[in-house]
Amino acid sequence: MGDGLLLGLDTVQISLRLELNDKPGQLLAAIKPVSDSGANIISIMHQRGAEASNGTLIVDIVVSLPQSRLDQLKTALTENGIEIIRIGTEHLTCTKTFILIGHILHTDLTDTVNRIDKANIAEVTELHIIMPHITQPSTAKLTIKAAGAAEMEQAFEILMKIAEEKHLLIVDEMEDEP
Amino acid sequence: MTPMKVALLGLGSVGRGVAQVLSNPSYGFVITAAADSKSGVVAEQGTSLNMDDVFSRKAATGKCGDAAWTADRIVKEAEYDILVEVTPTNAQTGEPALSNIRAALQRGKHVVTSNKGPVSIAYPELSRLAAEHNVAFLFEGTVAGAVPIINGLTHGLAGNKVHQLFGILNGTCNYVLTRMEEEGLTYSQALDEARDLGYAEADPTYDVNGTDAAIKLVILANAVFNMGVTLDDVIRIGIDRLTPDALRMAGTTGHTIRLIASIHPDKRLLEVSPRLIPKDHPLVVEGTLNSVTVETELAGPITFIGRGAGSVETASAVLADLLAVKERYGGA
Repeated sequence: MGDGLLLGLDTVQISLRLELNDKPGQLLAAIKPVSDSGANIISIMHQRGAEASNGTLIVDIVVSLPQSRLDQLKTALTENGIEIIRIGTEHLTCTKTFILIGHILHTDLTDTVNRIDKANIAEVTELHIIMPHITQPSTAKLTIKAAGAAEMEQAFEILMKIAEEKHLLIVDEMEDEP
Repeated sequence: MTPMKVALLGLGSVGRGVAQVLSNPSYGFVITAAADSKSGVVAEQGTSLNMDDVFSRKAATGKCGDAAWTADRIVKEAEYDILVEVTPTNAQTGEPALSNIRAALQRGKHVVTSNKGPVSIAYPELSRLAAEHNVAFLFEGTVAGAVPIINGLTHGLAGNKVHQLFGILNGTCNYVLTRMEEEGLTYSQALDEARDLGYAEADPTYDVNGTDAAIKLVILANAVFNMGVTLDDVIRIGIDRLTPDALRMAGTTGHTIRLIASIHPDKRLLEVSPRLIPKDHPLVVEGTLNSVTVETELAGPITFIGRGAGSVETASAVLADLLAVKERYGGA
């Protein structure tokens, strides 16, 4: 479509990192749902050599589309057999900061971050960690961006679950907006 | 107008404050009976106690009066109009205060208390008893000391729907966190300092694990928002695991960490936990101060700040309740 008619107040710019099977027709399978969703494609980037070890291709697409159509696009891509590895932060308008205290490194920090990122609803965009001594609890500051309040709530639930498993204390922001 | 007669249970810091305040005759109260945990004293009929003498005797002998006059006997037999119950809080059972308050209400006496135990455990029963006997049961001093939060919400903001309530309701925790923030002290260093200054008890467990603030939340939830909750309904996370690094990191974005007690009446959510909060938020107070912010439907956000503990400060809340009783029932 790409006619710009859909540009409106709720239009957002989104970057998608997609994982495609390295077979003919796969790129079209990725682009068609994007186009059908009414999104404007701003750029498509595919680097040869960016193949994942399992024989798949990585393609980065930047589009602009109404926020309300994002879910539709995600569904269409998934139905076409395309895996969405990451959704860029351009649309992640909700930001929250958390402080975690505990044996953060011992309990596998990468896993903590991955489990939030993998849910595809939010992203850990900043992480700062202080370790006073290997035997003492560390303190980390974590910034999470999500598409909206509901997605942030989901990300927080994941974080709470991780904190419970790993005996971490979470300090979250007081929310006094009605 | 005849002064109203007060029976005072509890001759510690708050009891002393109440006696001092009521010694001013212009308020219109006299103390006709008093008891500590070991003994009691009752004035001759038609007279009132000289509380200076009572406290001197207690200082000299360890007892304020006669061991035969126990608190519960005073409640049941002495002559008084209002029972003022200011003994220390028993968070588990509320006793012996709970039984004494119950007995006074059943005898048709008004009750004013600063004791959190009975109110947090048995508010529905005690308020029903008071209504049945057409007497007052008031407890402004149980939450945030001198800050008139219960009266502020039930009278000052009457009719306003409260969307959310946030409070800093434990002075010990707030002192510890203030010092960790200001001086980079560890949790245990700051707590030791608070103990040295008398801001923390020898065993500060109930303060630092959030129980004390949670008890106050239960009182507000039941007495102001009619939520019918108990202590087990409050999510509780204490401050004992906080690190100085956490406060430092919070500071890099203009935040600090405070132990926040919150009520979301519609979601039936009660929580006490350390939270990140912007340093310039009106709720953020320093040292042992208390504060409460309510988000209201008509009045918007309103913040109360003041001293959450102390002898005369808590007596101020008790006095306000006593004067409310006098205004409503003391015409004779």
